[in-house]
Amino acid sequence: MKIVVCIKQVPESNQVKLDPVTHNLVRQGVAGKINPFDRHAIQAALAIKAQVGGEVIVISMGPADNEYCLREGLAMGADRAILLSARAFAGSDTLATGYTLSQAIRKLGAVELVFFGRQAVDADTGQVGPIVAEFLGWPQLTLASSLTLKDRRLEGMRRLGDLEQTVALTLPAVVTASNDLNQPGYLQPRMIKASFQQEITVWQETDLAADPLRLGVSGSPTVVRKVMAPQRKQQETVFLATDPQQAALDLHAALHAKNLI
Amino acid sequence: MTKIPEVWIFAEQQLGQIEPTVFQLLTRAREIAPRFKVVAVLFETPTQHLAATLAEYGPDKILVVQDPRLAQVADAEQATLLAHLVQRDQPNSFLFGATALGRSLAPRLQAKLQTGLTADCLALHFEDELLVQTKPSYGDNIMCEIVCPDKRPQMATVRPNTFAAQKVEPDRSRPELEVVTDLPWPEVAHFQIIAEKKVATPQTGLSQAKRIIALGRGAADAASKTVARSWAQKIDAQIGVTRPLTDGGGFSVKDQIGQSGQTVAPELLFCLGISGAVQFLSGITNAKVIVAVNPDPQAAIFSVADYGFVGEANGFLTALQQVDQRKQAALK
Amino acid sequence: MVDLTAAQLMLHQMVREFSEKEIRPNDMAIDQQRFFVNGIYQKLIDNGFLGLMLPEQYGGAGFDAIATAQTIYDLAVGNASVAVTLEGHYKTLDQLLKYGQPSLLERYLPSANQRIFAFSMTEPSGGSDHSTLGSTAVRQGENWVLNGNKIMITNGGLAEVYCVLVKTAPEEFSVFLIDQNMPGFKFGKRENFLGLTGTPIAEIFMENIVVPADHLLGKVGQGHEIGDSAHADARILMGAVAAGIIEHELEIAVAYAYQRKSGQFRLTELQAIQRKLADIALAKETTTLLYQEAAALKQQRRPYAEVAAMAKTHGSRQAVRAGDDALQILAGYGYSLDYPVEHLIRDARALEIAEGTVEKMRGEITKLEVATRI
Repeated sequence: MKIVVCIKQVPESNQVKLDPVTHNLVRQGVAGKINPFDRHAIQAALAIKAQVGGEVIVISMGPADNEYCLREGLAMGADRAILLSARAFAGSDTLATGYTLSQAIRKLGAVELVFFGRQAVDADTGQVGPIVAEFLGWPQLTLASSLTLKDRRLEGMRRLGDLEQTVALTLPAVVTASNDLNQPGYLQPRMIKASFQQEITVWQETDLAADPLRLGVSGSPTVVRKVMAPQRKQQETVFLATDPQQAALDLHAALHAKNLI
Repeated sequence: MTKIPEVWIFAEQQLGQIEPTVFQLLTRAREIAPRFKVVAVLFETPTQHLAATLAEYGPDKILVVQDPRLAQVADAEQATLLAHLVQRDQPNSFLFGATALGRSLAPRLQAKLQTGLTADCLALHFEDELLVQTKPSYGDNIMCEIVCPDKRPQMATVRPNTFAAQKVEPDRSRPELEVVTDLPWPEVAHFQIIAEKKVATPQTGLSQAKRIIALGRGAADAASKTVARSWAQKIDAQIGVTRPLTDGGGFSVKDQIGQSGQTVAPELLFCLGISGAVQFLSGITNAKVIVAVNPDPQAAIFSVADYGFVGEANGFLTALQQVDQRKQAALK
Repeated sequence: MVDLTAAQLMLHQMVREFSEKEIRPNDMAIDQQRFFVNGIYQKLIDNGFLGLMLPEQYGGAGFDAIATAQTIYDLAVGNASVAVTLEGHYKTLDQLLKYGQPSLLERYLPSANQRIFAFSMTEPSGGSDHSTLGSTAVRQGENWVLNGNKIMITNGGLAEVYCVLVKTAPEEFSVFLIDQNMPGFKFGKRENFLGLTGTPIAEIFMENIVVPADHLLGKVGQGHEIGDSAHADARILMGAVAAGIIEHELEIAVAYAYQRKSGQFRLTELQAIQRKLADIALAKETTTLLYQEAAALKQQRRPYAEVAAMAKTHGSRQAVRAGDDALQILAGYGYSLDYPVEHLIRDARALEIAEGTVEKMRGEITKLEVATRI
């Protein structure tokens, strides 16, 4: 079975700050790494492959140095890696990213299962998986917390708040992996070394038969207008009334309005 | 004649219960778009009748799609139904709670409509008809202001419990009601819901707990512990303690919050009889809303608290439980 | 600062995560219970740590000296005993790779992915001074017969294979490899040490252990050289352990000083505290530079023994001193056995002794300076 896992490279640390003068992002440490949630997706793909055979292909979109996260995927045990990298892809929002990835999956052909992590730890959207499912016209199981494959029928569970859903999908399908789906182990040093011996395929827009208007900035309806440091709310303590009855009444109302009780 | 712009809110429900974020979004939409039409979009089975609950939060219109097949429905099916409605009415904006379902459904709809979607927003406001959305990135370390200038509807998922829900006066809410029963049903092949069941939040450890009641030296007496336990049960909270309470008395190191114990990140944290030593405070920096109760008004715990009560924990918590019981009784 | 290659960086990220998730949460328990609690030892094996610097042909990952030192540092930030146990293993493998005969390496090194190898010089009669050694190896046809008693072996009892320095003739020293499964091999008592309590330090007895000729490392009489080489390799890694301990001390001291207020000021705003914090940070940086420089020299096949000795000499003292500063900043909490600072000082103190005392190393540094200048 041909299984694709779409992964993203994220900054090594989320400890980013804004330069107070230039308002540019200051990232601590220049290194990137695979989005930690994507490791659950790769692990799930490897488990399916162990069951039915086939190959696991990791795909990532981004600049050339994003091959690093692909090598992490290879070190986990993926069979091959494709980097979608071109100027035309720059500035993509989730819609353009989803379109580009879905075109790559079409190009691969005969893909039956596509995995995503639940979301990326930097942008935190979790949107690209369902977008790709929509563009491919496939059913989706988001936030899968369990997964079994019998013949071509995929059965899994997901949590929607207090509701636990058990669903069945026929392949091809898109699955986004929750953290409960599996426990990815640590990379083996040997596998790390081996991943740097492997070739990584690079595809540009010309390789994808893509509509140029749907790529990159032109394919992205959203615009980031401003990047700000979060306003650390000045810790203002609301002192409640000295009478316990009144204090309890006020606090109850306040917490209730915030849906905390 | 120009049409009044509409702000749509997806009225997510689970087994006949409206997701609380929906009420928060209805309230917020009325605040930021007083001149727009606020529309709740509800999917229900013909027997559910959830519109009345939505009406309490003052939408201008409730658009109800009724179909028995909505009892168990695939994400893709819901997205297709919503796309029909959007194409029919052309709303200005469409808001979803950033719940598991909202975050699964909204992007599929977005892809169908080829418009913009901003995830997990923490702030929303309008500049004329432009929805200005603020979303966190890098684990809330950075805020991005995002707009969707050319495509409509402007879509966003909004983090639950970001806004407070406020009911409107009963006689002031008479929303227009439209019930749609004849949308073409988009049968999604290859997908089937086998089972759905309501599950209690699993009893996870302190570090995962959504609500925590933390006890310190000032609330170590038997009476305080008893009332704290009963309050914890009522609000589905876990109990944690400071280091002095780990030596016997029913608590051990595994219940300890702080530098040498556990780091916690609850949405609601009660700190009872806790002075606020550095060792403890370093374990609660990620708590969202902190309520501190301590007889010493100078206690360091108040410097990090959102709500403070100067007094004994036992008396305050007893009063709080009584208030809660009265409110619950009033609801029934 | 050494630039890591992409592969080294990936290894570093993995080790750091392992250290944060698997080791640090057990740091206090390792110290108190005096062993690698919660299956940490098995996790080191399962995750390929033992074969990290072993060449691919023996089933290892083949990482170089820079990556190996970085790994020891990352582990030491979690717990110094874990790092020292691997230090003892890696330095032994280094000597086997340098001096071992191919037939021996083919038989033994694949198993080094699963079991610890140790290097042993010290005897009751003396430590790094080899002249007083009482252990012997006597040739018997194609074989050698080993007798004697070795003490204070890093990983003694945990390790299954030992390289031992013995006398093959008066004033002639050689190193042999022996296996715990060999007849005549016996374990002795474990030392009751002040710090690094997770790492067992123990003695072994050899009673007529018979080994084939290819168990001799290098040549007869090369024992001193191999011992010095083991020391040099070990000291790079000991510098990395020291830097890891200082990083741990710095992390605790800064977190505490930032949160703690004295009157209206954070401790980090007080000059007396700033002096201490800055000194700890400086100690970490200088120690890091030294061990990385030594590792880089080794990797470039340039002389590294002197810088390695400096890394350990400087790092071990700095780790003790920085721990003392951290203890003072945390005051009562620093002095408490319920908090980690005190055991970091005890751990650091071991580094001034293990793999050659700092006094002996200053002698070697001086000797090397004299030799190159006069």
